Amino acid sequence: MKKLLNKTLFHYTVYTILILLVSFPFFYWTIQKLYKEDVDEAIELRKKEFLTNTLPTLQISEIGLVNRFNRDIQILPDTIQKQKFDIVFEQTFYDSLSPEWEPYRLMYSKVNIQKQPYILMIRLNLVESEDLISTLIRLYTGILLVLFVVIIFVTRYTSKFLWQPFYDTLAQIEQFNLEKHDVPTFQKSNISEFEQLNNSLGKLISANIQSYKTQKEFTENAAHELQTPIAVFKGKIDTLLQRSDITEEQFKILSALNDTVSRLSRLNKNLLLLSKIDNQQFNETSTFNFGELIKKPLDFFIEQAQSKGIKIETSINETIIINANAGLVEILVSNLLLNAIRHNVTDGTILIELTQNKLIVSNSSQNSQLNTTQLYNRFNKINPSSKGNGLGLAIIKKIADLYKWNIDYNFQNNLHQFSVEFSKI
Amino acid sequence: MKILLIEDEAEISDSIKSYLKSNDIICELSTNVEDSIDKISNYNYDCILLDLMLPDGNGLEILEKLKKLNKTEGVIIISAVETLDTRIEGFQLGADDFLVKPFHLSELLVRIQALVRRKNFNGSNLVQFKEIEVDVLAKTVAVNNSKIELTKKEIELLLFLIGNNHKVLSKSVLAEHLSGDMADMLDNHDFVYAHIKNLKKKLHEAGSNDYIKSVYGLGYKWEI
Repeated sequence: MKKLLNKTLFHYTVYTILILLVSFPFFYWTIQKLYKEDVDEAIELRKKEFLTNTLPTLQISEIGLVNRFNRDIQILPDTIQKQKFDIVFEQTFYDSLSPEWEPYRLMYSKVNIQKQPYILMIRLNLVESEDLISTLIRLYTGILLVLFVVIIFVTRYTSKFLWQPFYDTLAQIEQFNLEKHDVPTFQKSNISEFEQLNNSLGKLISANIQSYKTQKEFTENAAHELQTPIAVFKGKIDTLLQRSDITEEQFKILSALNDTVSRLSRLNKNLLLLSKIDNQQFNETSTFNFGELIKKPLDFFIEQAQSKGIKIETSINETIIINANAGLVEILVSNLLLNAIRHNVTDGTILIELTQNKLIVSNSSQNSQLNTTQLYNRFNKINPSSKGNGLGLAIIKKIADLYKWNIDYNFQNNLHQFSVEFSKI
Repeated sequence: MKILLIEDEAEISDSIKSYLKSNDIICELSTNVEDSIDKISNYNYDCILLDLMLPDGNGLEILEKLKKLNKTEGVIIISAVETLDTRIEGFQLGADDFLVKPFHLSELLVRIQALVRRKNFNGSNLVQFKEIEVDVLAKTVAVNNSKIELTKKEIELLLFLIGNNHKVLSKSVLAEHLSGDMADMLDNHDFVYAHIKNLKKKLHEAGSNDYIKSVYGLGYKWEI
């Protein structure tokens, strides 16, 4: 992923280099052309000067003198065969001083000295022009480079400044948590696109929070409304059980109904618990010894395990102090332990470990490695025939999430291992 | 014993009334706040069962009124709504116990008995049944005045059975009483059988009569 600014700068750089490369030859060519025209004009001027000032009084005997003191104006005998006269063109001459071949602009012209035909050659060295051109090009490149650097800096600076509301919005959305339903307050911006973005996001988020709330309220209300009918149901069964004329068959049916209504009631309680955690009704926290909290109900679990021949081994560090809602942590621990018992095999084992920062519950089971993708979803039952209601792990996860504890599942040495990484104080 | 039952759901109040009646507890029924305040102002009760959601207001108003009247009746809140706030508020306003619907009537009965015992507390908190005597505070049990060793769970079970004298209690009811919320998550309630067996044995060895009767192998009953 590239940052927006870097992408902008990258494009600027590429186009600047392209423009430089393309315009450079054109610029060079134009400058050179201009300079040549200049030189050609100078040659024409010299010729005119020669024709008006020197030629009328020039003697044939003086030709040698003229040629001796002028390198660039020479009077040559009329023996040179040239098709073109009075036209400036380019030619290289060997310069014994440099020593190298150097470019010249030159022109031949027919003149008459004392009525004798001669040829006048005027030439101008282009070496100086090359210096000039190279200077100009350096200057040009320099200006472009400065411009380029300035553009980059200005872009960098203004981008940061202009895109500030955008990055602010981005940070707000990243922070946003639907479950905590705090509507982000976006920075006011005088750029209409950003204002539009913020408005749309605001609307989207509000609508989401609203529907999330409605859904949560529905779960909570439904669970609450169910409590009374379940209570009536339970009460009626209790009353019916007391009748003296009840037969064994009827008693069996009533017992089964009783168990079912208990499960229904537990399911309802768990749904309520989940929505209560969602609604932050467990904000009250206290500081307590985690090890002691685990040990307290251990007798009950050992008793339960014994009836299945399961052995519980513990390795509990009793110096761990944490801060949380003790009731919720108790629920977390008992759900973990009940799962470990329920999904265990006869004569199986359970290992409870509490280390400095982890609670690990491992148990043997007839199940192979569990699929972790849906493990913590509500009503995702590993064993559909079990009496569990499929909310145990969802509750464990919810409680862990509430305290930002990390929950992890591993399958090692035929043991299913759930570990909760908690934060100590 | 006379108690005031404040509950607007007729089906529930009917069940409670008929269940408690056979334990010599007379229930007077009130279905709204106004009537309830009227009743508590004019009469005395051994205990009050209070539902919080009433057609003409919140049950907590009745608690406030009781406080104002300096009444000392024990109050058990029976509510379908259980949040930490209502619980704390209820207790702060003088409620003694909180039972969340749905509950078993047997559970309600022992809670009422325990509350009344606490209220009538005069130095000792004893439950007596024939030759058996349970000291609820000291958590000791004596048969014919000689102490016997019972575990905490066995004492709880004994109190529950005695409290529900003559009542049929299914295994799951006993399991729920003994293990609280966790009972219905368990795959089997065999541990109840183990506790009953031990309790029976210990009582028998101490020379007590066998009052624990099995009902079709699915439940138990405390009966002479």
